[in-house]
Amino acid sequence: MAVTQIAPAPLFAWPSRQRVVSAVLMIATLVAIGVYAPNFFRYHNIINVLLQVSLLGLLAIGMTVVMIVGGIDLSLPANTAMGAVLGALYMKATGDWAVGALIMIAAGLLIGLVNGFAVARLKMIPFVVTLATMTVVSGASVWVTNSLSISQLPDTFIDFFDARPLLGVPVTVLVVAVLAGLVAMLMRSSVAGRWAYAVGINDRAARVARIPIGRVILASYVFSGLMAGLTAILLTARLGSASANMGNDGVVLDIVSACVVGGVSIYGGSGRVPGALFGALLITILSNAMNLIGVSYYLSLIVKGAVIIAFVAIDGRKETKR
Amino acid sequence: MNAQQTSLRMEGISKAFAGIAALRGASLEARGGEATAVMGANGAGKSTLMNILGGVVASDRGRIVLDGAETVIRSPRQAAQQGVAFVHQELTMLPTLTVAENIFIDSLPSSGPFIRTREMARQSEALLARLGCSIPPETRVEQLSIGDQQLIEIARALRHKAKVIIFDEPTSSLTGPERQRLFNVIRGLKTDGVVIIYITHFLDEIFSICERVTVMRNGETVWSSPISEVDPAKVVHLMLGVAENEGRIRAPIEAVGEPLIAVTGLRRDGVLRDVDFEIRSGEIVGLWGLLGSGRTELLRALVGLDPIDGGTISWRDGRTLAPIAPERLHAHVGMITEDRRGEGVHLPLSISDNIALPNLKSLLNKWRLIDRGRQNALADAMIDRLKIKASGREQIVATLSGGNQQKVVFGKWLATSPRLFLLDEPTRGLDISAKTEIMRLVVELAEQGCSVLLVSSELQELMRVCDRYLIISRGRLIDELPGSAGASALMGSIAMIDNDLEVAS
Repeated sequence: MAVTQIAPAPLFAWPSRQRVVSAVLMIATLVAIGVYAPNFFRYHNIINVLLQVSLLGLLAIGMTVVMIVGGIDLSLPANTAMGAVLGALYMKATGDWAVGALIMIAAGLLIGLVNGFAVARLKMIPFVVTLATMTVVSGASVWVTNSLSISQLPDTFIDFFDARPLLGVPVTVLVVAVLAGLVAMLMRSSVAGRWAYAVGINDRAARVARIPIGRVILASYVFSGLMAGLTAILLTARLGSASANMGNDGVVLDIVSACVVGGVSIYGGSGRVPGALFGALLITILSNAMNLIGVSYYLSLIVKGAVIIAFVAIDGRKETKR
Repeated sequence: MNAQQTSLRMEGISKAFAGIAALRGASLEARGGEATAVMGANGAGKSTLMNILGGVVASDRGRIVLDGAETVIRSPRQAAQQGVAFVHQELTMLPTLTVAENIFIDSLPSSGPFIRTREMARQSEALLARLGCSIPPETRVEQLSIGDQQLIEIARALRHKAKVIIFDEPTSSLTGPERQRLFNVIRGLKTDGVVIIYITHFLDEIFSICERVTVMRNGETVWSSPISEVDPAKVVHLMLGVAENEGRIRAPIEAVGEPLIAVTGLRRDGVLRDVDFEIRSGEIVGLWGLLGSGRTELLRALVGLDPIDGGTISWRDGRTLAPIAPERLHAHVGMITEDRRGEGVHLPLSISDNIALPNLKSLLNKWRLIDRGRQNALADAMIDRLKIKASGREQIVATLSGGNQQKVVFGKWLATSPRLFLLDEPTRGLDISAKTEIMRLVVELAEQGCSVLLVSSELQELMRVCDRYLIISRGRLIDELPGSAGASALMGSIAMIDNDLEVAS
């Protein structure tokens, strides 16, 4: 039954379909912008796009880790809004922005822990769990704020993240860039990162190989909660206010789009942080381009939804999954 | 109905999968009113033969004669039309539907767009009554026990007026009383003149329920006779064949010293009970039993892959033997399960990444990150030591041959320096030379002081390396034999009929 075959290592590997298609999509979008809206390339707009990419990218990093382990976290934006609202209320009341920021992170971690516990220990389905926490958390944010925006936050807080210490690039962008590099390295070379891929590829084999799969799954959701908390800080600083509708449904769509366009498989076990950031860049530019060209918001939703379906359809991982 | 009217003959059936012969001119003869046991070890070809009869796969050659007329069966649906029904080991029920709906699923009685529920219930009741059971037809199947679900599946077969019913290991998940009830149902079907084909790994069952026995080995039918002409030992001999003397790799040693691991009273309800044994350092112990005897389950329970319901596992740590939880024992043990592709390796990863996986914590650099250089060195060392044939450490494991994949699995564990290896069918699906290589490796491990608990379906393989045998049957260790035991003693040991029909419970 054993067939002896020794495949020689290929000298040149074709890039995956997903990479080719996303590169083509990126170039087509940039060309369209160049023709129809050359203003896009102005310095001010580029910085603005980078800020948007950073915040979407941060959430996409959290989603990427969860998806590599084989789950999904739909509660990310709602989680961000909840943390932002709670932290902002504290800042407004006390003027202490550092503790406010810590509250935002703590809220994110706590919600991540709830998601992780439900999935890893109670063996619930990630999609359902995080859809439920999304609903609960969104409802709570609206209730806490009475749907009002919380503004007049401490200037020191806003100025801190709006500062441009390096080549005119805002602190927010730098923070995300450093963090992304760190997470990319940890996913590639840390024990936890290897465990994450191993569980996502095949949890049965991972279990036999002594990997504590429950802890890996739990940790992935806590990590995405942490990313939601960090996003809450940066987004609140950028907007100068916090509100419950920071985490509207369109954001979930953008995060998932960024991940699948960036080559993170929804079947688990494959994907890289830089890929997800590229996806976030592509989705942001695509949204901006449609906006500049004058495509209606609703049509842009149709386009983004179609992009997700197209990329899931060409996901190579589904063919190798049992 | 005339009980001798129905007859089934399969003649000269051959089938190859991807050029490898699964059946070589196999034959089967069965008569109405009788149950015919089909016996054979793993890979003997009995499933393929039954799948051909059930229309699941097509034969390359050969013919099927049913009631004296040659019959062509190309799909399960055609099989059903010809009166051939299959009661699978894994039941094929729709759990959220009712009993009646499950019985009638392939042709619900209807008038216009509506299902005639009452008519369906009435007929279901009648069918179930024939089986001596009174489950209300409107019960949802998920609320029934496995044994009851099996009866529903048989009722489905009866509705098609099945002339031939194939039972594929029907008792493997039944309790004692459920099994007795099933036997009564089968006796009833026999008096109705149905041809019963009965596949099982439990020897005792065929002597209590079957009139004829057919034994298969390596894709051929090697024996066919009334059951009265054989005894259990004879059947085991026929199934396993003459042990070809491939020669021992190592003469049995008498291990001395204190045990490395001691297990007392290990129990998993319905699977294992009263399991007591010890293994000493450097000893290769064969766990010998037929498929379904609990041998795989015992290995999995020891390291916590399956839960246990009682008993103690003690492990030597330093000088003392102390109780240890199965999950903790896992950290000291190299575990090779029977499902190499599903549990042994991560197919899409490279050789290097696979070997590194259980060893990550020993490959860290001063930044607590995995040191690529050390990982590569480990992979290269294992490729070299185990003579893994590959283009290099970066080759994807999915593209390796089975033997080389198995070596990767050994490589993963070797680097963790385990003191005990649990090996479940480590040579399954490998060619002769790869098998020998793996067995040599097992001996080499033992020479270095490792203990091994080895499960194999192939007796001759166990006989090449084992120092001692534990005999397992129906979830219990029923005997222990020395390494010098011969093939007939070993075959005889599992052919002992357990008068106590109860599965561990």
